[in-house]
Amino acid sequence: MNFQLIGHLIGLRYRLLWAKTRTRSGKIALFMAGYLLFLLVAAFFAIAAAGGGMVAVRSGQAERIAQGILTALFVSATVTSVMLGFGMNEVFSDTELRRYPLKALERRFARHFTGIVDPFWFLFLALYLGLAIGLYLYGAGSLVLGVIAVLALFVCNYLAAQVAGRAMERIMQQKGGSMILPFIIMVVCFLPSLAMPMLKKHAGAGKAVLRVLAFTPSFGAGTLMTRTGAAAFGGVWPIAWWVLGLTAALVALERRPPRIRVAQTTRIRWDTPYARAAKVFGPRYAPLVEHWLLFLFRCKRFRLAYVMSLPMVPFLLLVWTRQSARSNPFAAAVGVFAISGLAPAAAFLVNQFGYVGSGFRRYFLFPMDPAAALRASSVTLMALCSVYVVLAALAWVLFAPMAWGTRGFCMLLASGAFGLFTFHGAGLWTTLYGARRSDPNKTMGNDLSLAGNLVVIGGMLVMLMGPMMIGQVRKGIITPDRWLVVVGLAALAACFYLASLRRAPAMLSSRREALLAIVEGKA
Amino acid sequence: MDAVRITNLVKKYGLVTAVDGLSLGVAAGTMFGFLGPNGSGKSTTIGCLTGLLDPTAGQIEILGHRFDADSADLKRRMGVMPETLGLFEPLRAHEFLAFVGRMYGLDEGTVRTRVTELLDALELTDSSKTLADYSTGMRKRVAFAAAVIHSPDVLFLDEPFESIDPAGVALMKEWLNRYVKQGRTVFLTSHVLETVERLCQEVAIIATPGKLVWQGDITTFGREGAIVYDGQEFDALEPLFLHLTGERHVDLKWL
Repeated sequence: MNFQLIGHLIGLRYRLLWAKTRTRSGKIALFMAGYLLFLLVAAFFAIAAAGGGMVAVRSGQAERIAQGILTALFVSATVTSVMLGFGMNEVFSDTELRRYPLKALERRFARHFTGIVDPFWFLFLALYLGLAIGLYLYGAGSLVLGVIAVLALFVCNYLAAQVAGRAMERIMQQKGGSMILPFIIMVVCFLPSLAMPMLKKHAGAGKAVLRVLAFTPSFGAGTLMTRTGAAAFGGVWPIAWWVLGLTAALVALERRPPRIRVAQTTRIRWDTPYARAAKVFGPRYAPLVEHWLLFLFRCKRFRLAYVMSLPMVPFLLLVWTRQSARSNPFAAAVGVFAISGLAPAAAFLVNQFGYVGSGFRRYFLFPMDPAAALRASSVTLMALCSVYVVLAALAWVLFAPMAWGTRGFCMLLASGAFGLFTFHGAGLWTTLYGARRSDPNKTMGNDLSLAGNLVVIGGMLVMLMGPMMIGQVRKGIITPDRWLVVVGLAALAACFYLASLRRAPAMLSSRREALLAIVEGKA
Repeated sequence: MDAVRITNLVKKYGLVTAVDGLSLGVAAGTMFGFLGPNGSGKSTTIGCLTGLLDPTAGQIEILGHRFDADSADLKRRMGVMPETLGLFEPLRAHEFLAFVGRMYGLDEGTVRTRVTELLDALELTDSSKTLADYSTGMRKRVAFAAAVIHSPDVLFLDEPFESIDPAGVALMKEWLNRYVKQGRTVFLTSHVLETVERLCQEVAIIATPGKLVWQGDITTFGREGAIVYDGQEFDALEPLFLHLTGERHVDLKWL
C-alpha cells in the first residue's frame, strides 16, 4: 500500500479546501469562524455524550443506555449524510486517481480515506469518543476496548452512509426508480410509527426486537464499551460482520456502475409536456421556462430531491404533529407547512446557476436582458415547489391527527405560502451572492455555499422549531384564531419575493463576471 | 465599413492587466484570424467583444454601432462559439438548438427547419443522447450550430476546429468561406496556424498582456511568397508568429 502518496492526497484534500476559501474575499475569516464554531460544537457534543455515559453508569443500565445512544447517533449520522449530503463528497474520483501510480485497491482506499477524514464524520467520532470516555471514567468499561469500538463504529457508520447513498442512486437509475424510491422511503419512515403500537400491545415483542438489534453494530459497540474481558468480545462480532458486509456491498456497488438508460427513440419530439406547460408563462418567458423545466428534470440531483420529497413532506407533517401531541401539534403543522415549499428543490433554489456549467454564459450572449433567465428560473422553481404546499394540504385533509377547521386550514396554507415566498426570495439573493459550481448529476454530497447552507438548513430549523418555541413561550399564540396574522405574514413574504424578483435579477449584470468565474470553475 | 472595430481596449482583473490598449479593425466580409500565445488575452478580448466581460477602458464598435453588454439589437446580429462552448449538458442537441433559436427570436417553423437541417448536416441526428453523452468533437459541432442558427452578420469563433474530425472541419470551412463571400465577417482564434493560413485573409497577432504586435494581410503568402518584418522574410505564418511572440528553446537534461 502506497501510504506516502495517500498521505499526500489527504494533504491535498485540505489544501483544496483551504484554496476554496482563499479565492473569495472574506471567506478566510468565515472559514476560521466556522471551523472554531465546529470545534466548539464538537467539544460540546463530546461532553454531552460523556454525560450520557455518566448517566448510563449511574442508572445501572450502562450497556442498554449506551446501545440506545449509539444507535440514535448511528442513525442520525447515516440519515443526515444521505439526506443532506454531509460527509458524502468524493474528493477525488477513481478517474482522477488513475493518473497517479496507484493500484486499484490503493485507489479505493485513497478515495474512501480522503472521504472519511471529513469534518462531518469527525463530529460523530467526537460524539462516540465522548460516550466511551464517559463510560470509562465512571467505571463501566475499558478505555482500550472503548476506543476500538468507537473506531470500528465510526468506519461502519461511514460505510453504511456510502452504501445507502449509492443504493439510492442505483434505484433512481432503474426503470421506475423514481416511483420505487419514494415507496421505500415511505416504508422506512412509517415503519417505526407503525411498529410502536404493536410493541406496546405485545409484551414479548420488545424483547424479540432487542434480540434482533443485538446484531447491529451500535449494539455491538455498546457491549464492547461497557464490558471487560471475554464478555466484551460478544460485541466484536456484530461490528466485524457489519464492516465486512458493508465493505463487500460498497465494493460490489462500485464495481458495477449503474447502466445508463438511453431512450430508444431517435425521432425528434417538438410538442413536449414541458413546452405546453411553459406556454402558460407567455411568449417572452415560455422558451426560458421550457429550458429550465427540461434542465431541472434532466438533473439527477433535482429529480432525486423532488421525488424524495413526495413521501417526506406528508411523513414529516404527520410524524412531527404526532410527536408534538402533548405540546402544540398545530404549531408543529404550521412549521412543516412553512418548509414544504423548500424541501423539493432546496439546493437548486439557493444556487440557481450553480448547476448549469458553461451554459451560464449563454444568458449573456442572447439578445435579451439576462435578468429574464433568473426570473424564469425562480418562477419555474416556485411553480414546482408550490405543488408540495398543495400536497401537504391534501395530507392534512386526509390524515390530520387533530380536529381542524377552516381558520386552521387557512393558517396552514398561509404558513406554506409564507415559507414558499420567503425561501424563494432569499434564494434569489444567495444565487447572486452565494453561488457555487455544482454537478447536476451528483446525487450525493452537500455542494452548497455557506450562504446556501444557512438559508436551507438554518431556514428549515427556524421554520420547523420557530412556531413550536413561540408556542411554548407564549401559550395560545399559535392557534387557528390567529390565522389572519399568518395571512399577513404571507402577504409580507410575497412582497419580499416580488421585490427580490425585481431587484435581484437586475443586479445580475453587475455580478456577471464574478458569477461566470464561479460557475465555470475559475474561482 | 469595419465589421469590428476595437479602440484602446483595456481589461484588468484587479491588478492584473489581461488586455492592454488593444486597437484593431476588421473589415466586413473578412475571415479574420486573431492569434496569440496561451494567456495573451484572446479569450478575454472575445469576452469583451461579445458582451460577456465589461472592458475597463476603450471602445468597441460592431457593424458600425457602439457595442456594450446591453446591446441586444447588435447581439441579435452576432453569433458566438465560446471557448467553453456554453452548452446545457442535460439537454439533447435538438432541444438546445431550438432553445437558442427561440432566444434569437426565430419563429417556431424556422426553428424546427433549421435545427433539423443543422443536425442532419453535422451528423448529430441521434436524439436519444444528451449533450453530456457526446464526444468533445460532437459537442463542438453543436456549439458551432448554435452560433450560426440565426444566420448572424458577424461570427466570433473561439478555437472552432479543435477536436473536430477532418470531414467536419472541411464542412465548417466550406460554410464559413461561403458565409464570408456573402459579405459577412468571421472573427476566429486558433492555435492551428496552418488552418488559419489557409482560411483567413487577415490576421492579428497579440502578445501578453493583450498587446497587438502585428496585423496584416496574409494572402501574400500565397501570392508574393513572403512577408517582410523587422528586415526578415517569412514565408509562412508559423515562423512569423514564433518570431513575434518569442520562440523559446529550453533543454531539460532529464527529459
